[in-house]
Amino acid sequence: MLKIIGLKTSFGETEILRGIDLELDERESIALVGESGAGKTTLGLSIMGLVSGSVSGEILFNGRNLLKISEDDFRNLRGKELAMVFQNTEDALDPVCRIDDQIAEAILVHHGQSRKNIKAAVLKLLMSVGLNENKALAYPHQLSGGERQRVLIAMALANDPDVLILDEPTASLDALTKADILKLFRSVINCRISLVITHDISMARALTQKMAVLYAGRIVEIGRTEEMVTNPRHPYTRGLIRSYPGMTTTRDLQGIPGRMAQGLDGCPFHERCTQAIEICNCLVPQLREIDERLIACHRGGIVPLLEIRNLGMSFDSCSVLRGVSLTLFEGETLALVGESGSGKTTLSKIIMGLFEQDSGEILLEGQNVNKRDASFYRRVQMIFQNPKESVSHRMNVLDTVMEPLNVQKMGSKEERQRAAKEALRHVELSNDSDFLKKYPHQLSGGEVQRVAIARALALSPKLLIADEPTSALDPSVQAKILKLLMNLQEKMGLAILFVTHDIALARKVSDRMAVMLKGQIVETGATNEVLSHPQHPYTRRLVECAAAASLGMETGESQEESMAANNFKIKAEDFIIGKRPILKIEDY
Amino acid sequence: MNREQNSRTSILNYIIALAVIFALNFILPRMMPGDPLHAIYGDEALVAMTPQMEASLIREFALDRSWTDQLLAYVINLLHCDLGFSYYYRTQVSSVIMGALPWTLLLTGLALIIATALGIILGIESGWQRGATLDRCLVAGLMFLSGFPDFFVGIILLLIFGVSLNMAPLSGAVTPYAGLKGLDYLLDALMHLILPLASLVAVQLGAVYLLTRNTIVTLLGESFILTARAKGCSDLCIKYSHAGRNCLLPVTTATGLRIPHLFTGALFIEIIFSYPGLGSLLNSALDARDYPLIQGILLIVTIAVLTANLLVDLLYKRLDPRVKYAH
Ligand code: SF4
Repeated sequence: MLKIIGLKTSFGETEILRGIDLELDERESIALVGESGAGKTTLGLSIMGLVSGSVSGEILFNGRNLLKISEDDFRNLRGKELAMVFQNTEDALDPVCRIDDQIAEAILVHHGQSRKNIKAAVLKLLMSVGLNENKALAYPHQLSGGERQRVLIAMALANDPDVLILDEPTASLDALTKADILKLFRSVINCRISLVITHDISMARALTQKMAVLYAGRIVEIGRTEEMVTNPRHPYTRGLIRSYPGMTTTRDLQGIPGRMAQGLDGCPFHERCTQAIEICNCLVPQLREIDERLIACHRGGIVPLLEIRNLGMSFDSCSVLRGVSLTLFEGETLALVGESGSGKTTLSKIIMGLFEQDSGEILLEGQNVNKRDASFYRRVQMIFQNPKESVSHRMNVLDTVMEPLNVQKMGSKEERQRAAKEALRHVELSNDSDFLKKYPHQLSGGEVQRVAIARALALSPKLLIADEPTSALDPSVQAKILKLLMNLQEKMGLAILFVTHDIALARKVSDRMAVMLKGQIVETGATNEVLSHPQHPYTRRLVECAAAASLGMETGESQEESMAANNFKIKAEDFIIGKRPILKIEDY
Repeated sequence: MNREQNSRTSILNYIIALAVIFALNFILPRMMPGDPLHAIYGDEALVAMTPQMEASLIREFALDRSWTDQLLAYVINLLHCDLGFSYYYRTQVSSVIMGALPWTLLLTGLALIIATALGIILGIESGWQRGATLDRCLVAGLMFLSGFPDFFVGIILLLIFGVSLNMAPLSGAVTPYAGLKGLDYLLDALMHLILPLASLVAVQLGAVYLLTRNTIVTLLGESFILTARAKGCSDLCIKYSHAGRNCLLPVTTATGLRIPHLFTGALFIEIIFSYPGLGSLLNSALDARDYPLIQGILLIVTIAVLTANLLVDLLYKRLDPRVKYAH
């Protein structure tokens, strides 16, 4: 059993690890993920007693505090009970020493053995990591990257250690070798405590049961790997997973704004967090258990921004919405997908207060929304399919964007103007005076929609409801507007409720997806999950139709359809790498 | 290129270098204005020479015959290890040189081994604890020492230990006419050797030491050191069998390059301590203008330097597996 309590490691003045708590049972495997500089490798080296800096706290291994034992005792553990596989850099192996001697050394430092036994043991080890015995006499430079990695693994396994630490073990390998090595890892890690240091989420998923996310020397979230990947709960974890190019992620990659800063007061992530509150920049959040997940966040992880509970609504005894429940989290995109008439627009209009629900409730940031006052509209804004609906043809660009600010009576006139220009800059529109004086009919469709978005964003809302925001635009403009929305989300932490009938479009922009049929939500889940394993027959049909549209593309269809199809083509490539993207409906 | 080819080419290089030296030795005196015998032996020797001797020398060198015959005679003489006649010592040059060569080889060989071994050990230890007192003292001390010319260190040592403290003999390689035998003879030779050897080592040590130390400092940052530590290797094993072994490569190369310097250093040291090696011999040959002897000594020294370099080259190939298999 390995238990780490309050581990701090620093090099001179810089503290790399700032209090790590981690507990691993026998046979448990954990992935340590995080961007470079988060302290993952330092954590591994601290456990091995190989850091040159100063280490404090406790590392309990089988009841012994490793930080208190003598260097000689530690050396006896190293390589015998605690082993580490290093990243396969060019010089991870001694360049002037033969492979067999290097492996033999790993055994000999811990067990005296006769020459013959050693030779046999080395050969056995080589075999067990999938290397031919004629490699035994080779020198490191004569081996390929994958083979060197295998040698490193063989050395780490030489004494059958109880704890195995893998440090970015496949970072410099090509995809095929990587797959082979992964297979090997899977067989070696399941009988011991393993820590896999990686930034490769898919590897973490393939190898480990648990996952810990490190940020600036602290653990911000620990949970079961599978759940962490499909449902990240700490804002940083979500950012990390969003930015990771996986074969199963369907959404476009998104970064995390800003850079990791060391030595901040309060939550290490607060400068980049889009849901930070006052307390975040003065008090460090401790890891605590929230719904079977350990999360270090003052707000208990990503907060639900909008909760809809059991909403019902009918027009003239014809029920339009029945028992609709939805949760939209801070900073995420939830796609509300369904055909026209399924009630999705009604739902968004109810949220905006344009209709009144018959039953059920709507909560914004945990508070029941009864009346929609100025403070509600400061937080929730909407853009429509037809921008003309939100942009009055009698107002010029500047007035349009300033209008909500005027209504909210925010600041002085100059401040409002500045805010309006800033909003226009965000949507990548010019803010020279000529443009500001233009009227909607002087603008292109894409520009009008941008103006509408700028107007919605002028108040820096937390939630943007986008009802088919691009369906009136031609595909290239649509692509630009969507990119823009995603960038804004990344920058401002905007949550978006994306209402659309186009499942292919939803796939590219959303984190989660809710499928609506006849006034009911029939399926919700992470977008890639919903698309790759649709549960409800209706979802399946939607996916099939979209896929069929993509086949249509091959025969040359209208531009708009080919845009949608294009999205699916990429999807097909995701699944069938390297081959011609033949789309099989069963794939979905 | 495979291993054999590789060493073959380097051996070939050395053979070519040797051939060039022999050729120059043959051509130069013959290109000088005047009579070649004059050029080979110098005026003073000819004055002292009897006409019979002159005639026999002309015969030996085939100086009265064609150019090709001269070359043939030269080669045959070389093959017989005949480097000419030293009129000053009144015997064959080769036998004069053979009398002195062992002492020089003893001195330079021991100096090379001791300086290299000591330099490596000190370098490893000091690089390992970089920044510690030991390290800083060694760096400062050895840099200071290696800044002096060889003969200067020799004179200082001679003055301190030989003259003032009277701890070691002042000159020579053995006590003359003492009739010592066996172990006593060895000890006596050793006592005579100590001061010249110490001065040579002192001057040579700094370079090896600094190179080793700096190499070790960089090597300790390499990942294979971390790999070795993760295996549980002891400090001693990491220092010597991993870092130490890897630092042999640059040290060997540098040693090869320093061998000529070592020989010239030895020549001066020998003169200071009147050590009966090639240096002293060269000194007296120069005084007496014994041209054949001077030429012979220079030839032998050149051959010795080349041979030493060849050995270093071959050693390097044994040490670094990457050279053998380099494509
Ligand atoms: S909400 Fe606060 S505590 Fe939570 S991650 Fe954001 S900044 Fe950190």
